[in-house]
Amino acid sequence: MTTARDLHFTLNGEVRNATTAPGESAIDLLRERCGLTGTKLVCGAGVCGACTVLVDGVPKVSCLLPAAALEGTEVTSVEGVGPEDGLHPVQRAFMAHDALQCGFCTPGFVVEAVAWYDQWRAAYGPRRPERAEIAAALAGHLCRCGAYDGIYRAVADACAGAFDDAASERSPRHDAREKVTGAARYTVDIRYDGQWEGTILRSPHAHARVISIDVTGALALDGVTAVAMVEPGATVRYVGHAVAAVAAADARRLRAALAAIRIVWEQLPAVVGVDQATAAGAPLVYRGLRRDALNGAEGPVIPSPWKGNIRGPSQSFADKPRQARRVIADARARKDPLLVEGTFQTGAQSHTSFEPHAAVARFDADGLTLHLSTQSVGHMARKVAAVAGLPEERVRVVAEYVGGGFGSKLALGDEATAAVLLARTSGRPVRVVLSREEELSVTGYRPATRIELGLLAGDDGTLDALSVHAWADGGVAINSTIAALARLIYPAKAKDLVDYDVVSHLPPASPFRGPGGPALCFALEQGVDEAAHRLASDPIALRQRWDPEPARQRLYRWAAGLETWYSRRASGSGSGRMLRGVGVAAANWLYWYEPGMSVSLAVEKGRLVVSTGTQDMGTGSRTVLARAVAESFGITPAEVVVRIGDSSLPEGPLSGGSRTTPTIVPPTLQACAELKERLGALAPGITWAARIAAAPDIRVTATRVPDSNDGEAVSPLQGTGIMGTAFDYILRFSTGLRTGRGSPGAVIVTEVEVDTWLGHVQVTRTHAGIAVGRIRARELAHSQVAGAVIQGIGHALHEERQLDGSSGLTLTAGLEDYRIPGMAEMPLLDVHFDEEGFDHVGGGGVGMGEVSTLAVAASVANAVYNATGRRVRELPLRPDRLMTLLADVDAR
Amino acid sequence: MSGAHKRGAEWRAGGTDLSERLRSGVSDTFAGELTPAPGMLDIVPWGDGLRVGAMVPIQQLADDPRVKAGYAALAGAAGGLATPQVRAMATVAGNLTQRTRCWYYRHPHTSCLKKGGEVCPARDGNHLLGVLFDQGPCVAPHPSTLGAALLAYEATIETTLGRTLTVEEVFGDGRDGSRDHQLAEGELISALLLAPPGASERATYRRATGRHFAEWPLVELVVRLGVSEGRVTLARVVAGGVANTPLRLRAAEDALQGHSLNAATIARAAQAALESARPLPMTAYKGPLLQGLLRDQLDRLASG
Repeated sequence: MTTARDLHFTLNGEVRNATTAPGESAIDLLRERCGLTGTKLVCGAGVCGACTVLVDGVPKVSCLLPAAALEGTEVTSVEGVGPEDGLHPVQRAFMAHDALQCGFCTPGFVVEAVAWYDQWRAAYGPRRPERAEIAAALAGHLCRCGAYDGIYRAVADACAGAFDDAASERSPRHDAREKVTGAARYTVDIRYDGQWEGTILRSPHAHARVISIDVTGALALDGVTAVAMVEPGATVRYVGHAVAAVAAADARRLRAALAAIRIVWEQLPAVVGVDQATAAGAPLVYRGLRRDALNGAEGPVIPSPWKGNIRGPSQSFADKPRQARRVIADARARKDPLLVEGTFQTGAQSHTSFEPHAAVARFDADGLTLHLSTQSVGHMARKVAAVAGLPEERVRVVAEYVGGGFGSKLALGDEATAAVLLARTSGRPVRVVLSREEELSVTGYRPATRIELGLLAGDDGTLDALSVHAWADGGVAINSTIAALARLIYPAKAKDLVDYDVVSHLPPASPFRGPGGPALCFALEQGVDEAAHRLASDPIALRQRWDPEPARQRLYRWAAGLETWYSRRASGSGSGRMLRGVGVAAANWLYWYEPGMSVSLAVEKGRLVVSTGTQDMGTGSRTVLARAVAESFGITPAEVVVRIGDSSLPEGPLSGGSRTTPTIVPPTLQACAELKERLGALAPGITWAARIAAAPDIRVTATRVPDSNDGEAVSPLQGTGIMGTAFDYILRFSTGLRTGRGSPGAVIVTEVEVDTWLGHVQVTRTHAGIAVGRIRARELAHSQVAGAVIQGIGHALHEERQLDGSSGLTLTAGLEDYRIPGMAEMPLLDVHFDEEGFDHVGGGGVGMGEVSTLAVAASVANAVYNATGRRVRELPLRPDRLMTLLADVDAR
Repeated sequence: MSGAHKRGAEWRAGGTDLSERLRSGVSDTFAGELTPAPGMLDIVPWGDGLRVGAMVPIQQLADDPRVKAGYAALAGAAGGLATPQVRAMATVAGNLTQRTRCWYYRHPHTSCLKKGGEVCPARDGNHLLGVLFDQGPCVAPHPSTLGAALLAYEATIETTLGRTLTVEEVFGDGRDGSRDHQLAEGELISALLLAPPGASERATYRRATGRHFAEWPLVELVVRLGVSEGRVTLARVVAGGVANTPLRLRAAEDALQGHSLNAATIARAAQAALESARPLPMTAYKGPLLQGLLRDQLDRLASG
């Protein structure tokens, strides 16, 4: 039975015969042998459901299902759930409700929902299911982008019959149809003839020197290639550091090749985590000038002193820090009841993109084509050219669909380097896809933090002093910015703001959606909440007094008017097992854009084609482009052809820092105006659609120029003194990023229910007020907020990298142990957009991906305080921490 | 059956445990696919009780009207574990014989007692999800939810070697850290045998988790009660997620047996439930969770 066997089954109505290898799972057969790549492999452990297929009508996870179990069955994958050339009502519902973002988990959700819909309709007819019923039915699925809000609506409406009619097909998202049908091709789905599979050999040691590395044994094997990724003498500083890579025609050869690589290590003493790194006599992670310290931020490394394994103090954004320290010390000495002090800690959060880091490299006569799951085809093309030793114009980086990024796919990863080197040595196309264990161990994370907060309100309700000292635990990476962000909100008489990085022998942290923001909010917003408590003030009223920013003033008025807010009970006044509470938190962010990026607009064979070298990792950039063009010409977005995800297009922005929309919309609008001019004035009774259909092929290209100086908006950096100006200039010249005027803002009101017996916190409803100016694609903007909210809830309650303190191994190496929120964790969601304040930006709006998530965890914490009367000092608020927090609460 | 294979060779049924380990490289023990012998896919009467074939999918067990009527906590446990897709694939015997979910064991780059190593790295390492009742060298809780329910129902297990074992015999006392069950090399479960339920008994199953669904329980609890004329005549309290084996909490049972099910009795039972607890440095929180689960279920059972 351990030999290959022949299988006969029906796949999407077609009879198939295939040979399966011993121990093989169904997904490998379906994807690799049957060529149906709609079915996605994410966790490989039956947790996330992305690989779900129907076997004789029953949803099963094909990552675990033995391939042999397909014998004699009828298998339906996402490619086969709809009628010939049509869509299933569930697919139409997912499209209409924007129940997806990056689309990588979507096939699994769709397949499961189709089966459940069929069952539901057979049992109840077109009746609308309850939310809890949908959550239970889809309990075997996870979505990292957080599309749950739309999925609830989609499944409910589909079951109720709203999408039975094929004419009900509509889609706010430009590429939704490709995603609900499994047609969207991600990097992991690319397969060239003769392609080899590559894998990376990684350091088993947290700290070691490579004395020698020899890949000749592997190279001597038939059907194998190998490359060293470090030089002899190199130091590795974390478990999982890439040291070599191999590629082979099949898995057996790949294993043999890995085993044939010879490395001689000199193990060095290691420190794992903050406590070990700061202990007396701790071995140093970096020595001397520490030039090899990795930058874990998007911005440039600003010089800062080092002491042992601690980098800092970095305090450029402090404002009269000595005054702040003195005022707080005096208040402490006189035991001032208005002095709020406390230590707050947050856990390390992994990006957990559902499409793992992946690359497919292929050399041909034209040069190198690299399919790469990246947030920046443009920047990567330049970096890959250097790796490959080719001129830039002979390198093309392609990312047609990207299965999530969240900041983890901004830098050039080992998978890209390995694929390029292996493809070059083998002369074959090579694919390198990280395993989930690699993805959760070495592709970055939001660093764990410790923050010491001091906040002093004056008797007259002023903010007299603010002190934030923040320590980031980002492994071998530095350059965290947490305390500095406190300069951008709540003007105080004096601010003492200090950032430190504590380095240790752990994988590097990397930017993650609003870097530094959630940790600062968690400490600062609880501090403000506590100050309001001490002043016997309404927490929103106190923020209205302390935070003069006009857009947030409008959001505070909106929040104060929510019934749930003004009818909430006094903090800690509840009793019994279940405690309910309501909390608020605010956040501020910067608006960035990238001048010089270009968008091209063309008429090609009577159609409008918009193109730019950006990419869409689920945020909706394709849709934003299509809508901007469609609105200008009075046509439907579906009529616009969008080309992105290719470095050979006019250079577009990377997807990070919430810059994409405000970078691409203004030149798109400008290109539209120029094209209209070129096409000439419309004759009476003629539409642009008709004019374009008849027009010859032409092309115009527009470039993002700096914003106008109109209007009264100011940059949050204005008024932050010489360092603010310097920071602005350094960013501008090192990254091309411009800090625009205006403050993206958020006010989040959260309702929670706390089960004091079972240690469970449920966020029941979130009200999100977001101020980012004019909204270009409303349904997608709602989806962005929904995703930001559920990722914030994950950070607040569930998600945390767990480590082994002696080896430095990441223990949360799968989705069973790294716990992202599921359907049932998604609260009811109300989103309120404040659309004023950005008229000086072409299109009137800015990016929102980051600002929407910053205050969520803090808002949950304040709600838990309102429910229980206990301050949350540490995130995530796991059941064990909640039980400790409530140890003295009598809930009987 | 497995004599031709190296020690530890594993036959695959539903695949919900072994397939993951084969993919991640934790295990290289694939022996072959199991094909059901007669009776292995059915739930049939066994005297006044039931005989559940080893390869019955867990969802089928959860949905069976006879199981729901007579063994409510078993049906509840089956319907409450894992995910809908996994319940459709996983077999009842596989649930009992699956390997531990410990994050050290499941990691492709560690050694541990259950992978032939000399020490349990979790004991002095990170055992946040570890046991509350420390029975032996390994500190990982047993993952079998059905095991806890079957222990509460005092089910017996029939094997391919013709043995009939109690649930305690299948799992042992937790002192052998290298194994997850005590079946012999090559011995497979063929059926679960359920004795007839009591006339007026009621039973519940619940788990404490961080998220709602699809998570291994921090603590899970089966409570099976018979009440006659206001007094508890039968009490079975079995916890999962807290020890190397599903664990009967006899002190809690004793605190219930013979008493009327009022607030004072429930409080005494909750206290007794932790009588033999030996928490690790990171697992003391499981004590109040266990008590919370017990109070929750006894409250439900008391209020009818």
